[in-house]
Amino acid sequence: MHALIIDDSRAMRSILRRIVTGLSWDTSEAGDGQQAITLLEEGLVPDVCLIDWNMPVMDGYEFVVRVRSEDKWRNVTLMMVTTESEHDNIVRALAAGAHEYVVKPFTPDAIVDKLALLGLTQTEVPA
Amino acid sequence: MTTTEFATTPEDLQMFVSEVWANHVAQVDELVPAPPHTWTATAGPAVPCWSGAVSVTGRWQGMIAVDLAGGSAEALARGMLALDETEEVDPVELSDVVGEFANIVGGNVKSLMPGPSTLSLPLVAHNVLEPPSGLHPQVTLDLAWRDAPVRVRVLALPSPTQ
Repeated sequence: MHALIIDDSRAMRSILRRIVTGLSWDTSEAGDGQQAITLLEEGLVPDVCLIDWNMPVMDGYEFVVRVRSEDKWRNVTLMMVTTESEHDNIVRALAAGAHEYVVKPFTPDAIVDKLALLGLTQTEVPA
Repeated sequence: MTTTEFATTPEDLQMFVSEVWANHVAQVDELVPAPPHTWTATAGPAVPCWSGAVSVTGRWQGMIAVDLAGGSAEALARGMLALDETEEVDPVELSDVVGEFANIVGGNVKSLMPGPSTLSLPLVAHNVLEPPSGLHPQVTLDLAWRDAPVRVRVLALPSPTQ
């Protein structure tokens, strides 16, 4: 499995990287939505993108809309991991094509549980 | 800008901050309530603190600011970056961690307020950030981690009744 972690905070990317590498996954990272689109256009094929909402250049919502507008990326699972917890925005992101939504702060278990709900892993908390 | 009558309670704020801290730092020592610390706006080695702030614009308008003394900022950075206590923390990493802390606390405060509203990207300073004029303290939470002060402030436009 391969996760593309998209967050403008290096610390948050580090936290998410530790969680998914604990599942023996590979990871790539991007500091905003546009960097992530560039990685996808260069041929990266992640199984899941973990996406912050509030980022410079291209935010997470714009990224979801952009990915879902391209048929070639239809198999990429999109999971928002963000402090944005306004109900209307959660609905908007899910309607735009995000599959799951995790609000910060989160525990490693919460991320692993959501990945399991998406059928991407077992419900086993990484060490 | 519009005025607002909505407020965050100290209990809400304590819950958000403690949850972030517990997830990333508190292996042994938790954040505990502390007497107010004297924070000065003067930058420099004599005042080794970090501040991060995010603004909320919309039906509720205000700012959420976190202030961390050097020791508490480094503890948060070590926790979030999984560094041990002997490793140096780069100032760039400290700035990033303080900004993310403000972002998470601010996002949770925003979730209690009526929407729609928008959260800004965090602003970080190796200094104490002073709020823009017009914003008034709504809630201030004084805490400490191993005697290193942490302060969280929610500032808002005054309501018509104030």
